[in-house]
Amino acid sequence: MAEYLLEMRNVTKKFPGVVALNNVNLNLKEGEILGVCGENGAGKSTLMKILSGTYEHGTYEGKLYYNGEEIKLTNISVAQQHGIEMIYQEINMVLGCNIAENLFLGNLPGKGKLVDFKKLYKDTEEILKYLNINAKPTDKVGRLNSGQMQMLALMRAYIKNPKILVLDEPTSALTNSEVDQLMNILKELKSKGVSCIYISHKLEEIYRICDRVLVLRDGHVIGCHDINDIDEQTLIEEMVGRRVGNLYPKVQVDIGEEILRVEDLVVAHPRIKGKNIVNHISFGVRRGEILGIGGLVGAGRSEILGAIFGQLTKGVQKRIILEGKECIINSPIDAIRAGIGYVTEERKLNGLVMMLSIRDNTYLASLNELPTKGPFIDDKEENKRTLEIFNRLSIKAPSIHTVVNKLSGGNQQKVILAKWLIKNLKVLFIDEPTKGVDVGARAEIYTLLGELVKNGISIVMVSSDLPELMSLSDRVIVISNGHLTGEFSKPDITEEAVMRAAIK
Amino acid sequence: MGENTKTNDSILKKILSKNEIGTLFPLVFLCVVVTIINPNFMTFSNIMDVFRTASYYLIVGAPLTLLLIAADMDLSIGAVTALGGVCCMFAMRAGVPMVPSILIGLAAGALIGIFKAWIIVDCELPALIVTLGIQYAVNGIVSITTRGLSVSGATKAFKVLGQGRIFGRIYLTVIIALIIAIIYQLILSKTKYGRSLFAVGGNPETARLAGIPVKKRRKEIHVIVSVFAALTGILMASRFSSAQTNAGAGTELTVMAAAIIGGTSLFGGSGSVIGSILGCVLLAVISNGLVLIKVDSFWQNLIFGIILLISVAIDKYRQKLSNAA
Repeated sequence: MAEYLLEMRNVTKKFPGVVALNNVNLNLKEGEILGVCGENGAGKSTLMKILSGTYEHGTYEGKLYYNGEEIKLTNISVAQQHGIEMIYQEINMVLGCNIAENLFLGNLPGKGKLVDFKKLYKDTEEILKYLNINAKPTDKVGRLNSGQMQMLALMRAYIKNPKILVLDEPTSALTNSEVDQLMNILKELKSKGVSCIYISHKLEEIYRICDRVLVLRDGHVIGCHDINDIDEQTLIEEMVGRRVGNLYPKVQVDIGEEILRVEDLVVAHPRIKGKNIVNHISFGVRRGEILGIGGLVGAGRSEILGAIFGQLTKGVQKRIILEGKECIINSPIDAIRAGIGYVTEERKLNGLVMMLSIRDNTYLASLNELPTKGPFIDDKEENKRTLEIFNRLSIKAPSIHTVVNKLSGGNQQKVILAKWLIKNLKVLFIDEPTKGVDVGARAEIYTLLGELVKNGISIVMVSSDLPELMSLSDRVIVISNGHLTGEFSKPDITEEAVMRAAIK
Repeated sequence: MGENTKTNDSILKKILSKNEIGTLFPLVFLCVVVTIINPNFMTFSNIMDVFRTASYYLIVGAPLTLLLIAADMDLSIGAVTALGGVCCMFAMRAGVPMVPSILIGLAAGALIGIFKAWIIVDCELPALIVTLGIQYAVNGIVSITTRGLSVSGATKAFKVLGQGRIFGRIYLTVIIALIIAIIYQLILSKTKYGRSLFAVGGNPETARLAGIPVKKRRKEIHVIVSVFAALTGILMASRFSSAQTNAGAGTELTVMAAAIIGGTSLFGGSGSVIGSILGCVLLAVISNGLVLIKVDSFWQNLIFGIILLISVAIDKYRQKLSNAA
């Protein structure tokens, strides 16, 4: 019997331009719960994908050992044969199938090709009773709420008798009582000798359940501690402690009067009944100000922007005051008319029309302002104006007629910015301004944001990149679990303060 | 002068870079082959017949191109064509003057279109199944009201629409179809409206967040397609002096094939009416050519079907190419 059940030695995983994991060592004892924590983008998910066999053996450097013997996880089923099971952050259920079929997905009881439905339903019934879920095995999974589904996912892994359970942010869709239940199940599994890797950035949970904690930052292992040997303060410092370069040129702008005020914003959770993803949040933005919204992924930050802009309307309550006057925004059309622009987080999903040209994307939100000759668009004038903004943002492409899916992430982001900059905006919402943007274009985008505020535009920016958030924002509000948990103004914005509020 | 040649140059370049040019080669090839087997193909009156056939495809094919670009589809075209003709002829037989009769036919199309748009866009049901259902229902209405018999009673003036010729040689329908196609091409490529359709079809969520009224656009085009399907039926009634209950049978697929052959994507976001013109002519040449080279007309459906499958495959392939880039 080896000392460790599972070991990762010197694992390095590279993506074009990024080293996601750099020489990572991890070990796991039998019957132990190991916490893995770190900021967004620290490499936690990459680690998990290596363990699950999603990134197969050979696409990364380093070796994996199981009970002291080297193993090669060449695909997902090999990992499962070694008793490694995954619980994902996102719900992973076949909504059209019933509870029993989901619970035993790929693992149905019975001989040969026939399914033993009697046993299937009996076993499922026991599990449902154990979970305190009031439903029949034959009910459709879609009827359950996402917390219950997450529990089912856990049990689905459990009935395969795993040796190692890897959980990636398993509580992000759970209510408090469901979190308690999850913790109890994990403790029970632990007593049966199952080992867990518990990935989370909620420190409270880490302290509650883990034996040891491994801190990742920028793909490096910063430390691995016995949970009793490290206090929260040190842990946070290890998670964020990094020097801030001068990538962030912050221009000094005189901040004016309040231009936009949001009162008592509520957004109902799209899947969980009775839970709000944004819970009674109020804030204001002043002219020329960059207001940062910090918090963890899934805390409800993007939903704040989407709800104000009219992208989300279901279950939204809000009061918006623009330049001192009450403003009704029921759709993006209203928001744009009021002078608000919105750069979304997912460029491909809802920021660009990928098959259209740079020019057509630039004018997407300004069709009514297109120059015309009679009933027709004045092509020459349109090209001229597009070229102006194209040059101003130094978009790197052969011409304004280049199709946007041929551009790099940074240039695509610039095209989206161009789309809003040709309008006369009062407020620009921007969600993760530099997600998937290379360092060079990053600095250009920061400079551009600086120019915007200089011209009197206000910016509300959601960012998971702490240095970016701190350096660009004049003020930061922090959202945790849908609640406003902190507000900091320069110079009191520190990474520790923001992180502490984000995990409240 | 110098500037003129420059714009000409760029227009030529533009044309060559377009998908629809791919349609031109098989079209020319087919014409040559058919002519070699039967030189009668290249006579003026035969070519005029080809264009006449193509014009019936094109009148509804032009607005359908816009619908496909907006990432929608319509399988009820054939049934609405029959309905338009039948309604118009019912009115005329009852003594209603020509223009109001035509308007009644168009209104019938518009009504179906509004109903269709409401179910597809507001109730968010899949266009494929909804329009299939409407096709059956409308065909049913036509059969019930006519008991399967054609509706006669076309006035002399009315017959001019489908039978009349300009200069004694060129069918009026060909001119009508061409004007309609040109108008739609201009709307598509030169107006704000056309620009918004590309966005709606290319990525509806992006379009919505950019303030484009996505639902309104989709509904408008759905109604327009039905109105033009009815117009096709009215012109057919004029051509045959009576409304046939099976007037538009099968045209929805023919017309959709013509658009896709012409480079319009079934997945939305790209295409042109010019391409659809070429597609319509290509299919008309095939159906005419088969007769001239004495192939049994039963082969026509098989060949149209194969062409449709090939063009969808090409469309998918193009899609993949542009995604890979």
